[in-house]
Amino acid sequence: MCVGLSARVVSIEDGTALIDASGAKRKVSADLIDDLEPGDYVMVHAGVAIAKITETDADESRKIMESLDGIG
Amino acid sequence: MDNMNKNDFVTLAHGAGGRQTAELIDRVFKAHFSNPDFTGDDAAVLPVDAGKIAFTTDGFIVSPFEFPGGNIGKLSICGTVNDLACMGAKPLYLSCAFVIEEGFPLAKLEEIAAAMKKTADEAGVRIVAGDTKVAGKGQVDHVFITTTGVGQLTEGVRTSGAFAKPGDAVIVTGDVGRHGCTILLARNEFEIDADVTSDCAPLWGTVKSMIDASHDIHVIRDATRGGVGTVLYEIADQSKVGIRLNSADVPVAPEVRGVCGMLGLEPLYLACEGRLVVFAPKSEAPAILEALRKGPYSANAAVIGEVVADHPGKVVMTTEIGAQSLLPQPGGELLPRIC
Amino acid sequence: MESAKQIIDSYNGRKLRVMEVCGTHTHEIFRLGIRRILPPQIELISGPGCPVCVTPAGYIDEAVMLALEHGAVICTFGDLIRVPGSEMSLAGARSKGAAVKTVYSPLDAVDFARENPDKQVVFLAVGFETTVPAACLAVKKAAAEGLANFSILGANKTMPNAYKALKGSADAFLYPGHVNAITGTAVCEGLVKLGVSGVVAGFTADEILTALAVIIRLSASGEPFFRNCYPRVVRPEGSPAALKLMDAIMEPCDAEWRGLGVIPMSGLKLRPAFAAYDARLKFTLPPVAGRSNPACRCGEVLQGKCKSTDCKLFGTACTPLHPVGACMVSNEGACSAYYQYGDILNG
Repeated sequence: MCVGLSARVVSIEDGTALIDASGAKRKVSADLIDDLEPGDYVMVHAGVAIAKITETDADESRKIMESLDGIG
Repeated sequence: MDNMNKNDFVTLAHGAGGRQTAELIDRVFKAHFSNPDFTGDDAAVLPVDAGKIAFTTDGFIVSPFEFPGGNIGKLSICGTVNDLACMGAKPLYLSCAFVIEEGFPLAKLEEIAAAMKKTADEAGVRIVAGDTKVAGKGQVDHVFITTTGVGQLTEGVRTSGAFAKPGDAVIVTGDVGRHGCTILLARNEFEIDADVTSDCAPLWGTVKSMIDASHDIHVIRDATRGGVGTVLYEIADQSKVGIRLNSADVPVAPEVRGVCGMLGLEPLYLACEGRLVVFAPKSEAPAILEALRKGPYSANAAVIGEVVADHPGKVVMTTEIGAQSLLPQPGGELLPRIC
Repeated sequence: MESAKQIIDSYNGRKLRVMEVCGTHTHEIFRLGIRRILPPQIELISGPGCPVCVTPAGYIDEAVMLALEHGAVICTFGDLIRVPGSEMSLAGARSKGAAVKTVYSPLDAVDFARENPDKQVVFLAVGFETTVPAACLAVKKAAAEGLANFSILGANKTMPNAYKALKGSADAFLYPGHVNAITGTAVCEGLVKLGVSGVVAGFTADEILTALAVIIRLSASGEPFFRNCYPRVVRPEGSPAALKLMDAIMEPCDAEWRGLGVIPMSGLKLRPAFAAYDARLKFTLPPVAGRSNPACRCGEVLQGKCKSTDCKLFGTACTPLHPVGACMVSNEGACSAYYQYGDILNG
C-alpha cells in the first residue's frame, strides 16, 4: 500500500530533513523521528520520514535465514 | 537591440501580416536562420537529387519551454531531424511554423531561434521556409512550433518498424528517461531536485556512424514521448515478434532512478529526445556498438535485449531475480503513485 | 544455511495460500516475476491493501462534487486520478474544468493552500497507517498556521479489523512492512492467538523471497506463527511519535471498503476538535451512495475468493486504460497487475 523510498539524510533543519536517493533530493518531514542525524538512512513515504533504516536488506535477509536453521 | 519597451514583447500586430510581421521575421528569423535557401517568397525552391526522399512533420509543445539541456527550439529541430534519420535519411531541409502567445518576450523568441539555428547547423539541415502566427493571451502556452523536414534516403539502407526479426539484437543508444525526468523536475510540481539534463540531441550523425558500420540494420526508431518502453511495444506489434529485455542491461542514470523511485515511475516509460532504439542482426551488433560508442550522443550505447519468435507483441523482462516478467503495456498519463 | 530461493524451489509440502495485503507487495511480486519461480503448491493472493482499490465509488463522487460544485482545488496522490466514481473519475472531472492537482505529499497541499489564499484546497486523504501520519501532519500544520482554506476529505483505513475480516482467506499473510513501521508488531503477534499466521515483509527482492521462505519453514509445524522479517525498518513498538500524532488528530470510525462493505472500526476520521478541516462538514456534503458496475468482482478478488481472470469484465470491458473496477486502476491494483504482468507466456 505504500511506496517507500530508502534515502540518506543530508541535513536537518526545523523538523525538516533534506534527503538524497541516488541524487534525487527533496525536503521531507522529520517530525516523526527524534534523533535523526545527517548520514542516517530513512524510509520515506508521502513526504514524511517514517522510520530509520538500520542495515541493508542483504544483511537483514542473511540473519533471518541463519535464524531458520533447524526450523521446519 | 530595441530601445522601445513595447517592442520587447510579441503583440497581436506581429501576427497581422503587415509591417510589424515583416519586422519580426527580419529581426528574429531571418537574422538567425539566414542561409542561401531561406526563402523570401511563398515557397522555397530546392534542387532534388536522384533517389528517394523521406518527408515528415512534427508539432512541439512543451511546458516549460526552456529546460536544462535545451528549449522548445532545439527540441523542434531534433524531433524532425531524428524522425528523418531513423529512416536512414540525411536531413536536408526544414520548414518551421510558429504559434506565439501574445506577450511572449522577443528576447526569448530570439533564444529559441538561435537554438534552432545551432541545432540545424549541427544536423547539417537548412531551414528554408517558415510561418508566424500570434495567438491571444492564454490561447497557447507561450509558443508552439511545428517543423516539417525532407531528407535524402541512403542507398542500400531500408529501415522500418515492421522489419524486426527473431535473432535481432535490441540496442539503445544511451541511458533512458532523461528528457521526461528533466521536464518533470523543471515543472517543480513535486519539489524534487536532481542534477538531470535533457538528452535532447540531433541524431543524424549518430545514425550515419551506424550506417557506415553496417547497412544491415532493420529498425531505427527514436524514443520520444512514451519512452523506450513504448517503442519496444510498437516494434513488437508492427513486426509481430516478441522482445526479451534484460532489466539489468537497461542504462538508467542514478538520478533518474532516484526520481523514479520517489514517484513510483518506470524509467522505460519516461520520454527521451535523443535516444534511438535499434534492431539489427546479432552478428552486426558489435560493429554498430563500436561505432556508437565513439559518438557524442551514444557513448553509453548498450544491447538491452533480443528479438524472439515467441510471445509476439509482448515485451518480456528478465528481472533481477532471474525470473521472467512482462513489461507493463504503455498506459496513458504518467501518474506518480504513492500507494 | 539454505538460501531463501533454495527453500522455495525445493518446497513440496502441502498447499500454501499466502495473501499479500499491500499493493506495493503486489506490484513488486509481479514486477520481479516472483509467481513464476514459485512451486505450484504456493499460491499468492492479492488482498485488499491498495488504498485506491478499497476506496468506494461514493468517495470519488464526493471529490468530484467538491471540485465541480464547490470550486475547490483537489489535491491528490496520482493513484486516485483515474479511479471510476459513479459518474466520472477525477480525470473526467478535470476535463470538465475541475482543478485537480497531483501532489507527492499532503504537506505539499498545505503549502499550496498557503500560497493560494483565495482558493479552497481539499486534500484527498486515503491510505492506511503508513500514510495517515502524513495527513495528520498536514492538518496539524494547517491548524498551527490558521489556514482557513485547507481541509481533507477523509477515507483513511486501518488494517487490524480487516485482517480479522479476511481470516480464513489464506494460510498466511505477508504483512505490509510500512504499515508495521508505524503500528509496530503487537497487533499481528496478537492475531496468532486467533489462529492467523503471517510475517512482516519488506519490499526488495531479497526481502520478499526471505519472507516467503520463512512462511514455508514456519508453516511446517502446523501451528500459527508470526515473524518480523523486516526488522531494519520495523521496530516492535512501531513509531511512537506517529501513533501519538494520529491519536491526537484522528479517531476510529466504521469504514466502507470497496467490494468488502462496511468493516466496523476500520477507518479513521478527524476528531471533533479538528472539524474545521473536515471537507464533508465544511462544505456540508450530502450523504453519497456510490454506484459500481454490478458485474465487477473486485470485492471477491480482494478477498481472494476469485482471480481477476474469473471476472467477465477483466480484459474486455475493464482494462487499465478503461478501468471499471478499482482493482484495475492503480498499477498496484490486483487486476491491473494481473493484466499488465500476468498475461504472459503460460499465463
